[in-house]
Amino acid sequence: MDRYLADLGLIAPELVLTLLSLVVLVWDLVTKGRDSRQVAYLSLAGLGVVAYLLLGQWGDLAATGGKAETVAFGMVTIDAFGTFFKLFTVGSLAVVILFVLADRRERKHGIGEYYFLLLGAGIGVFFMVSTNNLLLLMLGLELLSLASYSLAGFHKSERRSAEASMKYVIFGGLSAGIMLYGISLLYGLTGTIDLNEMGIADGSGWPVGLAAQFAQDPVPVAVAIVLILAGFAYKVSVVPFHFWTPDVYEGAPTPVTTFLAVASKAAGFAVLLRFVGALFLVEGVDSTVAAYGERIGLLIAILAAVTMTLGNLSALRQTSMKRMLAYSSIAHAGYVLMGLAAMTPAGFSAAMFYLAAYYFMNLGAFGFLLYFEGVNKSEDIDALKGMGWKAPVVSIVMVAFLVSLTGLPPTVGFYGKLLLFYEGVDAGLGWLVLIAALNSVVSLFYYFRIAKALFLSEPAEREAEPQPFFTGFLALLGVGTILFGIYTEPLQNWSETGTDSLGIAEASE
Amino acid sequence: MLTLLVFLPLVGALLCLLVPSSNRALLRMVALGTSVVVAAMGVVLFARFDGASAEAQYVASAAWFTLPGAGAIPIRMLLGVDGLSILMAALTAVLMPIVILSSWGHIGERVKEFLVWMLVMETGMLGVFLALDLVLFYFFWEVSLVPLYFIVGIWGGEKRLYATVKFFLYTLAGSLVMLVGVIWLVYAAGTADIAALTARASALPSETQGLLFGAFALAFAIKVPLLPFHTWLADAHTEAPTSGSVVLAGVLLKMGTYGLLRFGIGMFPTAAVAWAPLFMGLGAVGIVYGALLAMAQNDVKRLIACSSVSHLGYVVLGMFALTQVGLRGSVIQMVNHGLSTGLLFLLIGMIYERRHTRAIDQFGGIAQSMPVFAFFFVFAVLSSVALPGLNGFVGEYMILLGTFQASPFWASIGVLGVILGAVYLLSATRRLIFGPIVHAANAKLADLNAREIGLCVPVVVLCVWIGVAPNLFLGKLDGSIDALAERLDDARVAAAEAQADEVAAR
Repeated sequence: MDRYLADLGLIAPELVLTLLSLVVLVWDLVTKGRDSRQVAYLSLAGLGVVAYLLLGQWGDLAATGGKAETVAFGMVTIDAFGTFFKLFTVGSLAVVILFVLADRRERKHGIGEYYFLLLGAGIGVFFMVSTNNLLLLMLGLELLSLASYSLAGFHKSERRSAEASMKYVIFGGLSAGIMLYGISLLYGLTGTIDLNEMGIADGSGWPVGLAAQFAQDPVPVAVAIVLILAGFAYKVSVVPFHFWTPDVYEGAPTPVTTFLAVASKAAGFAVLLRFVGALFLVEGVDSTVAAYGERIGLLIAILAAVTMTLGNLSALRQTSMKRMLAYSSIAHAGYVLMGLAAMTPAGFSAAMFYLAAYYFMNLGAFGFLLYFEGVNKSEDIDALKGMGWKAPVVSIVMVAFLVSLTGLPPTVGFYGKLLLFYEGVDAGLGWLVLIAALNSVVSLFYYFRIAKALFLSEPAEREAEPQPFFTGFLALLGVGTILFGIYTEPLQNWSETGTDSLGIAEASE
Repeated sequence: MLTLLVFLPLVGALLCLLVPSSNRALLRMVALGTSVVVAAMGVVLFARFDGASAEAQYVASAAWFTLPGAGAIPIRMLLGVDGLSILMAALTAVLMPIVILSSWGHIGERVKEFLVWMLVMETGMLGVFLALDLVLFYFFWEVSLVPLYFIVGIWGGEKRLYATVKFFLYTLAGSLVMLVGVIWLVYAAGTADIAALTARASALPSETQGLLFGAFALAFAIKVPLLPFHTWLADAHTEAPTSGSVVLAGVLLKMGTYGLLRFGIGMFPTAAVAWAPLFMGLGAVGIVYGALLAMAQNDVKRLIACSSVSHLGYVVLGMFALTQVGLRGSVIQMVNHGLSTGLLFLLIGMIYERRHTRAIDQFGGIAQSMPVFAFFFVFAVLSSVALPGLNGFVGEYMILLGTFQASPFWASIGVLGVILGAVYLLSATRRLIFGPIVHAANAKLADLNAREIGLCVPVVVLCVWIGVAPNLFLGKLDGSIDALAERLDDARVAAAEAQADEVAAR
């Protein structure tokens, strides 16, 4: 019995979050028709508690040198890697809720279910990033997806929003099916749904390791793995599974888009990293499997190149800022994939660092978008013309986000790119690094269209009414973007601790 | 000391942010005060610098971060000054107060933002010249890029949007290729310390060296700009506000030539020897082509911009002659170009503020109404066309001498450029300054005021000083240039041996 109680302590953040979501739902029902802001405050407070628990857990995990603890008979794995992403998820959930609070237009929609669904999506993320079990992973992913589908269509009276939701459901359902098919194949072949067992089982008896399967007949295993990867690729919108992204991002309410583009995408990357790491790079992996891992790495490298190029080139032509940011998020998925394609621990931690950077700069950029949707009643870049002089603080902070998104110093985006490029070169992917560098030039063109509209036009006639709370909040993200670009050590250490806990072996040269 | 020198402007920028934008006088005082202090430090640094030593001096170092991976490579905040950078750093420090003071005349709106960007840019530029860590160098290199985007884009002329986007895209394309080069080099050599890299880079396989040289040289060639990348410069110069043009000509372009010298030639001497004919050719063709372009201009600012292409051609020509004299000449010519072209841009800004046109045919005879202006303008032109006794002569003479030792052919093309330079600059002066007053508006132009004279005098003094006593300045280069020349000699010997082996093998 004691053991189960101790286990409960390990998943306390998940439990609190679940409880919180239920309380939020009930509270809203009880106080129906009154100010929904109370619900938001309650959610924020609850997220504070979750963050506190997670930080405590992080401290324990980091102290033990990245050891993982399992709960519920190995279903849930609590390790620094998962906690890293959970912390950032809590952070971005809080930011998204603040967005809803700050946005006046959102307030009329901002009823209690909104927060419930957001928290529910958060629970999905929590479970999917902290498991080696494909079944639980699938469940977490689906929980996240279901909440996201409803959130995307939350403005149900708006045609665009409804359309976004519909597209999201269809694409999401299809890709979930493909992935589930892959999982079932893998289960059939190996006899286990635990990634660790698959990776290192030696093949004598049941479950059968991947090595034995590859040795016997590589085709079915490879098909299964590629199908699963396709499911992840959909979640993080990698070309050619990206078609839903611009439409859904554009149609969904902006705070929801923020959640999808940032937290949901990063969670997708987390499972992708864990999946690839556990199967192909884990300590003691069979040499046959490792050899196939290299091919998977090459496949990912090619996908990375195509994704960033297509994302950037498509972003060039957009006139709507929201759509542009959607394509830019596709391009960034390509950059993160570089770290994965390196297939080294350092590459993984570079990818994690970049994702952390991505949280900062994209939360900021979407916050800016939301701010100006309120001011301009439009998402067009042209509508921003000359507004830089009217809302100087927000606009200057936005320039910092843009500089970071382009990958220029002195910002966290530069440092993330530097790490990714370096690990790319280290892994012998010089060609990919060169493509990524050229892509950054392309991205400069469209990112700075925003800066150009803001500052390089005559001051606008309209006034932006001051929103001190929103402004200060964005400024804080901006300070983080610059500060972590110079003082990089904490984020770098966290990513390394996170990667260590995956138990990936150093590449043997 | 160097840490303070580099980051003081940034502190000044932050101070400016705290001042309310309505209080222009205080803003200007803060910015000017900061830059004057930095300039004073620059002068002290220059005076105390020991030119005989090839070692970096006043080194300041602090841990920054570590690149993970196969070998953990420490990246440091490593600043230091040596013979290659001392003149550039001092020039930057000294020019900035002049630039900031000059902005009082033509920057009337959004003064605060302008001054903040200028000071941020100063930190970036000083950092570029003083960084001794490759990643830190790249960091500052990019930091100095963004401010100019806004300076040209917000306070520039009519076609500023076109100019600023073009400038930004050109330079960034170059820099990102360089970033790949930086990362590759750091990875291959296992260090980011520039001194250690310089020693280790020549041990890399020769193809790698060639590719890396290409990556660096491309970025720097765009920045200089060498033919065929020169088109962004004419637009950026023309559209930039006066103070922007002065910084651009005075310092930012020098980042390109400085980079070629320290990274192109210094790190990859073998590749530099192999590629020298191409660069000498590009430099020499640039001299003539820039001069021809300048002849065809009616906009006097554009004319000076084209002459910049021509003058920087000399710098590259002398540098890639790879001789002791040529290298020294090209470094001193970087300073000269910064001073004399900077002065020309300042003066053009002054008459533009009075007449709001830059078309040469709108002027003529203004020597009668503005004698002081005419004096300074003629002085700047003479310095530009290398009148003996002034700074330009020292640089161009050394460059041509050094080039002649390496390649008489390209040297003769360079001499042709000297003549062409005299033609377009002197004829522009004649049309602008002398002759009868055709347009009535020119008759009652006010002559330079005290502030404007104050801007010109320090530059004039420096021009004469370099012209009369160049050894004070050249002496600072000795240690570093000797060391560089030695490495080049080794590279030549090695290349000759390799060739001999090849012949023998056949």
